[in-house]
Amino acid sequence: MTQQDDEMAAEGTEVDEVERASDVWVFLEEHAGDVMPVAWELLTEGRRLADDLGEDLVALAIGEDLEDVATEALARGADRVLVADDPVFEPYRADPYGTQFREMVERRHPSIVLIGGTHTGRDFAGRVAVPAHAGLTADVTELDVDEDGQLLARRPAFGGNVLATIVCPEHRPQMATVRAGVFEAADPDPDELATLRATDDSIADNDRIEPVEVFIDEVDTISEVLVRDVTERADVTDADRLVAVGGGVEGDLGPAIELAEALDADLAASRKAVDEGWIEGARQVGQTGKTVRPDLYVALGISGAIQHVEGMNDAGTVIAINDDPNAPIFDHADYGIVGDLFEVVPQLTALLEGDEEVPDAGAADPEEVFQ
Amino acid sequence: MTSPNAEGWTVVVGVKQVPDSDEVRIDPDTGRLDRANAPAVLNGPDRDALEAALSIRDAVGGTVTAITMGPPTATAVLEEAVAMGCDDAALVTDRAFAGSDTWPTSYALAMAAKHLNADVVVCGEETTDSSTGQVPPGIAAHNGWAQLTYVEDVEPLPEENRLAARRDVEGGHERVAADLPVVVAVAYGEFDARPAGLHRKIFAENDFEPDQLTAEDLSIDPGDVGMDASPTQVGGMDTVEPVERKNEILEDVADLLEPIAATAEVDG
Repeated sequence: MTQQDDEMAAEGTEVDEVERASDVWVFLEEHAGDVMPVAWELLTEGRRLADDLGEDLVALAIGEDLEDVATEALARGADRVLVADDPVFEPYRADPYGTQFREMVERRHPSIVLIGGTHTGRDFAGRVAVPAHAGLTADVTELDVDEDGQLLARRPAFGGNVLATIVCPEHRPQMATVRAGVFEAADPDPDELATLRATDDSIADNDRIEPVEVFIDEVDTISEVLVRDVTERADVTDADRLVAVGGGVEGDLGPAIELAEALDADLAASRKAVDEGWIEGARQVGQTGKTVRPDLYVALGISGAIQHVEGMNDAGTVIAINDDPNAPIFDHADYGIVGDLFEVVPQLTALLEGDEEVPDAGAADPEEVFQ
Repeated sequence: MTSPNAEGWTVVVGVKQVPDSDEVRIDPDTGRLDRANAPAVLNGPDRDALEAALSIRDAVGGTVTAITMGPPTATAVLEEAVAMGCDDAALVTDRAFAGSDTWPTSYALAMAAKHLNADVVVCGEETTDSSTGQVPPGIAAHNGWAQLTYVEDVEPLPEENRLAARRDVEGGHERVAADLPVVVAVAYGEFDARPAGLHRKIFAENDFEPDQLTAEDLSIDPGDVGMDASPTQVGGMDTVEPVERKNEILEDVADLLEPIAATAEVDG
């Protein structure tokens, strides 16, 4: 199959392929009706691109029982929603999703497809880009279209030292996985949402919601989800304050948790802390993790590799506590304290907690107070 | 196509030679990355893949063959794989492959996996030089095989001709069983790579020569690989300007209270 497609491409159908393609698709990653926040972020960014291009923004919902998902996508700016609703699509599996997507692309020729850079999104994108012979750019942090309507997908490269612009001149669709937290999701239009949900229990009557043919049958699948154990999904991308832990915490999150409570902050982490298994991967900041933009970012025992810094560059105030005076994190911090975090962090926590009762506690020498 | 095999499974593990990311420096004159002078090493996440592949062989028998796509100098990473315990290794190499993005790269590796009659293809999560993670699903897609990505644990089920795996997904985990042949991309840091044995290491470095697989050997039309078959192109590179920070080193912990309080005020 793919070889034939490729031969066709080699015989000069590229121009037609490019001219024929139209519309911006956003893949609405959802699990049991729960849409990943990055999908709404992409809908907002996709709206901007579609307006620039003068094309439609189309949300792609694959799953089961998707009425609420579809109506919310319309209220959040989609012109249309394509709904592939079938039990075979719940929970997510690469092979049925891949088959469904390929068939839809072959019939509808989207120009751009945006996918959240979650594990599921990356698994899906890598699978579907091949049969579509699409250009796929991973881990994108900036999107634009040029005067020819070509997608400019920018991504950090070589550990974040450079931003590479990736283009796909001769193939469609132009696909990208986009890091969570980079774009801000616009709120759904409450009036539209209320209207959409009040009018009818069925989505069949809404001509902006289009059920599509399902191209895969359960007997043809080649994988089976035996157990799915998903609990609370941490989301650090919206946090106003973050306390982030790195290798320096040596597996002891206690001081970080107490500081986070005193600051009313969420916990985040560097890749090192996640790889060590000290904290869940959803809290990872940086390349292959999330982009965050809190007002306050406190980095504890984080060396400050460029891959991490890239994910927290948009933070307001950055505080770093590290016992290595040469740690690169100090170059990316507003305020730094060189010291043992197991001493410094409890001091800071105590000062913060005492602050309300003793407004001038800051004047005291912490060494004296806490010895 | 594959039937339960008393001889064990044919496991293929994909590895890559990459510039040592700790040694890549920015040329101060051009602002460009100086990759050429960085030493070439085995991609770190591939160590997890090698361990996972060898553990499958330990469980069900069979063979593990390491493959890499690259120039002849990439043989070094195959030697490392053989030293760790791989039975054999093959270098997928051809001028026609030069300039390939992930689409033709995964195509060439998919054809190599077919050529080797793979039951399981194991890869690392991503490479440290391009970090797309797109090649393992690409291999699976080209061959129409099952795929399991972000895998933390593998459990071969030879009596069912399936492989079960624990996958790391947002907010939790899932256990998925996939029919063979299957492509597995293992999560970085989840498999503790075994050390190379001394005798195996001496053999790998002195006596071992990998097979070479060219486009012709793999029945690949040169027009289907390389730069011309790559949908994506690099349209430009910009160095990232560092964000301006105050860079104040404080002696007294109490001096942090004011800037912390200021963020709360800004937030309203």
